[in-house]
Amino acid sequence: MKNKIHSSKITPEALYTSRRRFIKSTLKTTAASFLLASCSPKINSGDQAVTPDSNSSEVVEGLVDDQGFPTTSFEDIISYTNYYEFSTSKNQPAKLAEGFIISPWTVRVDGFVNNPREFGIDEIKNLFNQEERVYRMRCVEAWSMVIPWIGFSLKKLLDIVEPTSDAKYVRFETIYDPEQMRGQNNPSYPWPYIEGLRMDEAMHDLTLLSTGIYGKDLTPQNGAPIRLVVPWKYGFKSIKSIVRIDLVSEIPTSLWMAVGPTEYGFYANVNPSVDHPRWSQATERRIGQSSRFNTQLYNGYEKEVAYLYEGMDLKVNF
Amino acid sequence: MKFTRIQIIINFLSLLPATIICFLLIQGTLSANPIQTATVVTGRTAIYLLLISLFCTPLNNILKISVFIRIRKTVGLYAFYYSLVHFLIFSIIDYELNLSWILPEITQKPYLQIGLVALTLLLLLALTSLQTIKKSIGIWWKRIHNLVYIITALIIVHITLASKGDIIEPIILMGLFLFAMSWRIPPLKKISIQNTPKWAHDLNTFLIQ
Repeated sequence: MKNKIHSSKITPEALYTSRRRFIKSTLKTTAASFLLASCSPKINSGDQAVTPDSNSSEVVEGLVDDQGFPTTSFEDIISYTNYYEFSTSKNQPAKLAEGFIISPWTVRVDGFVNNPREFGIDEIKNLFNQEERVYRMRCVEAWSMVIPWIGFSLKKLLDIVEPTSDAKYVRFETIYDPEQMRGQNNPSYPWPYIEGLRMDEAMHDLTLLSTGIYGKDLTPQNGAPIRLVVPWKYGFKSIKSIVRIDLVSEIPTSLWMAVGPTEYGFYANVNPSVDHPRWSQATERRIGQSSRFNTQLYNGYEKEVAYLYEGMDLKVNF
Repeated sequence: MKFTRIQIIINFLSLLPATIICFLLIQGTLSANPIQTATVVTGRTAIYLLLISLFCTPLNNILKISVFIRIRKTVGLYAFYYSLVHFLIFSIIDYELNLSWILPEITQKPYLQIGLVALTLLLLLALTSLQTIKKSIGIWWKRIHNLVYIITALIIVHITLASKGDIIEPIILMGLFLFAMSWRIPPLKKISIQNTPKWAHDLNTFLIQ
């Protein structure tokens, strides 16, 4: 009996979350950046550093990307997902991925590297400074979102394993576990999911390995515990729930290249002037908004990435 | 005007998808991408209704459940309404009647061209189903309405081309279509049960009231 806490002494959730929000906004608005800098060792120049708090029940809204577009609501990001390992419907994975086991989890990094090794997911989170990056995400189906990812540049992980000169491409592989992922029983697709990047694309600073969204850990339907994010390519390039990263010398065949070689190319750069037989690539609709607008070349990251494809015929290398 | 039981059931079932879409839309829970979801649901409803209409004749021929013949036209018309709404959502709500967006889409994408042909033919069938027109065109009515088989095939091709690699649904649709069609080829067409089973007879009597 003496351990019993009277219900009136418990702070209601809405109250403490509003207090947290108050504290957070106060810190933000009163020139307290020096305070943050002094108490958080994780801040580094250029990036917004954050310490993801997976227990936090709040989501900080009001973020914008580099072009000033507001982030898509957390609810929409976690409820509307393409994750064919669970379902071909976009509304189903959130339900079907519930209870997906993400611990223990290891990512094997090998192939043409000097230091092949396995990384535990907690190790990854500790080794690499987790930053917040607000990126536009353009799905090949002509819808898009703006997502505040938590993660780190893939380059940092690749630097540790030291790719050799034979490594020309990076091949990524999603976990294969049809017991947990019932969509992998669908014979229409050659599982497991494979994606790939050219070495220079993989080493680009924008290319992210993400472990969270909106300051929280990734939900299973968003690709927990670790996924790729390549903001200038169509969403399907950003492979989810990665278990293996292989440095290879030959161009990898992605799952979508195997399913429809005439529809899905290796590069899959967002490009409004290269058509897809099904979806308009000229325009898109931002989730949460009703109007359609013109899609930008390289999803608006032209300044950062156009040099990677100089001299290439983008209609051939689609 | 008094509705028979079958009419009530068919009208209720046909209006159900539209009602659910409207309800979820107002409630704001028709997925994070409501326009896309509404497009898919109206399109799917149309093809399944069209397939149901193709089973009416065989059910009458084999089991003598004549009541289905009476609702064949209603089901076919609902399939047309859903196809039309499907197209209107695409052109008005999704592409905002912006011809500089719509025209390149249609010229580039065979699945859209096939869908448009199917919709145009369905419109022809819907118009000629009006009693006055039906009477005035005589033998042509039958010829025109045989187009429903081609329309169904076109819509299945439209869905197959629009599907992202998934072959399961196209296979199900094609299977249902071929099953319905198989009862129209000469050997199977002749099949009819001599003594109509009692349940079929009772069902017919119940629904027809």
